[in-house]
Amino acid sequence: MPPRGQPPPASGPGGPRPAVLLLAPLLLLALQGVAAAPAGAGGTEDSPGLQDAELQRGLLQQAARAALHFFNFRAGSPSALRVLAAVLEGRATVNPKKECQVDLVFTTDHYNREDGEERLGKCSARVFFRNQKPRPAVNVTCTRLIEKNKRQQEDYLLYTHMKQLKTPLDVVSIPDSHGHIDPSLRPIWDLAFLGSSYVMWEKTTQFLHYYMAQISSVNQWKTNDDAVDFDYTVLLHEFSTQEIIPCRIHLVWYPGKPLKVKYHCQELQTPEEASGTEEGSAVAPTELNNF
Amino acid sequence: MRRVLIFSVLLGAVLGKEDFTGHQVLRISATDEAQVQKVKELEDLEHLQLDFWRGPAQPGFPIDIRVPFPSTQAVKIFLEAHGIGYTTMIEDVQALLDEEQEQMFAFRTGARSTDTFNYATYHTLEEIYGFMDILVAEHPQLVSKLQIGNSYEGRPIYVLKFSTGGNSRPAIWIDTGIHSREWVTQASGVWFAKRITQDYGQDSTLTAILDSMDIFLEIVTNPDGFAFTHNKNRMWRKTRSLTEGSSCVGADPNRNWDAGFGMPGASSNPCTETYRGKFANSEVEVKSIVDFVKNHGNIKAFISIHSYSQLLLYPYGYKAEVAPDQAELDQVAKSAVTALSSLYGTKFQYGSIIKTIYQASGNTIDWSYSQGIKYSFTFELRDTGRYGFLLPASQIVPTAHETWLALRAIMQHTLNHPY
Repeated sequence: MPPRGQPPPASGPGGPRPAVLLLAPLLLLALQGVAAAPAGAGGTEDSPGLQDAELQRGLLQQAARAALHFFNFRAGSPSALRVLAAVLEGRATVNPKKECQVDLVFTTDHYNREDGEERLGKCSARVFFRNQKPRPAVNVTCTRLIEKNKRQQEDYLLYTHMKQLKTPLDVVSIPDSHGHIDPSLRPIWDLAFLGSSYVMWEKTTQFLHYYMAQISSVNQWKTNDDAVDFDYTVLLHEFSTQEIIPCRIHLVWYPGKPLKVKYHCQELQTPEEASGTEEGSAVAPTELNNF
Repeated sequence: MRRVLIFSVLLGAVLGKEDFTGHQVLRISATDEAQVQKVKELEDLEHLQLDFWRGPAQPGFPIDIRVPFPSTQAVKIFLEAHGIGYTTMIEDVQALLDEEQEQMFAFRTGARSTDTFNYATYHTLEEIYGFMDILVAEHPQLVSKLQIGNSYEGRPIYVLKFSTGGNSRPAIWIDTGIHSREWVTQASGVWFAKRITQDYGQDSTLTAILDSMDIFLEIVTNPDGFAFTHNKNRMWRKTRSLTEGSSCVGADPNRNWDAGFGMPGASSNPCTETYRGKFANSEVEVKSIVDFVKNHGNIKAFISIHSYSQLLLYPYGYKAEVAPDQAELDQVAKSAVTALSSLYGTKFQYGSIIKTIYQASGNTIDWSYSQGIKYSFTFELRDTGRYGFLLPASQIVPTAHETWLALRAIMQHTLNHPY
């Protein structure tokens, strides 16, 4: 996969300031020339590059995002999706091949947090970035955020809701231009986010990270053997390049069963056609996680 | 029909800004040739300053006259004395003109006053431009509208000026909507405009600021892009300029400024979102601001507003070098962010562009800083990715309100630290 645009030196945003960031173990590693500073990180050759602290903070954020996308995908539960709250601590090592291994601890929030709800889950993860190649290897464990029974209940509710929706769905954009999602369409959004988590996990690198911006079309909707068969186009927003990437995603979901995802993302509008087609299922070639 | 008549007759007068308060339009029915002659006599009396919309012709044809207020009594007495029938077509010409102006604005905004304008929804370009006109009409002593140029596609580029007088006072510049898809920013700009008019004379901080300084607010900094987000592609970021040799449209107006232009931190590919443009200031939307700021010569704070990420940033973006005023800018940012979060607890990070978000060359505030405008800041408003650009409209007012507290803190610091 060709690198897209200018890789940034560090990506900071995405959540509140980390409450504690243990950099002491990092300093030792920093002296060993840790940070994988990409070309242009420091501007000209004469000016100093970014301080290692900033680069480290960026790497930890990236790792947390990759880990969380992967976690959400593996959990396969649209009612139990999580977002990043804060990175608590972590350390990174870079090998001569510019591959990064990041060990970190971070907190998460419920994606569909209700008002007043203040539940923070905690995750520890090991993420291995393969120098701008896709599919970071992720090993992640999280504390339980929602009671298993409650989660299964809500998933099943979502499932029945979706089975009742009439096909074909005459829906275009979710949310609409004004950011509004009709409550009846909320389950579609959640399930789409689940499927997109797989795509975003695969595409996240040390430098690139994604958000799901909008469902631009829902193409197909049928239920075979009771599973929800969902074919949609999502717009992903890649932050460092600011690009909007349309991805066609096809997923098959049944509550409690592993999610099956196939996708095709449109690559950058250059005169030469480039496309990436990826296929995956929950039985991805990574280590299992416990939750 | 009557309306068309009024506009065609009074257009010149309206443009000249005459006042028609108390003027009446009388329709006279002259029943015979003698009466027609009598009305013609009126025409000769120059001191009456009569304006014949439909002159005396033949009996049976109406004669319409606009009569200035001082002459109304005299004319009516004359007509009655000679038994010439008449009706008052228009009781007060100015009132009618005012009503029609209002309706014109109402047609454009859907609102007749800035008090009935809906701030909790996203608006079109026409609606926002209409809002500006109403605001100026409601507060002519405080607000004026300047046109600083035209967009690539020929749309006017407007800046609101808030001033209590003086001559080229030190000023604060705020722009929203430079990236058209960041809709919460234009919406917040509209809210800020209204807020300023409400706070002057009510809020001691804002009053002190406006008593010594001017505020310039450009709400739709990229009107072509904004129109495009409404009509064609909600996710459009750049301008809509055509690039020779490419089928791709638009340059990133936040990579087009003359500060580190051409260095890493922007793209040279016209098909990308961070395409810097063929050369610095190639985008008229950017050049218009550059010209304005340079001509003004007394801008002391420059704040450019984006979304999303919840950040408050200061220079530099194009290089890792620490800005000379870093320590002070960091302090100001910290107090601004504290003020912001005091309202709803919304957490913002702050720091230099390059350390906090990413390397960005040719960006707005690196340029403004290079012009000697010390207090140069960029905001990234709500949220942190859950909705991103498609922030629900219900969050517009809370976002604008909390951001306003940060802006006020920056403006206050600027006021108290003249340089």
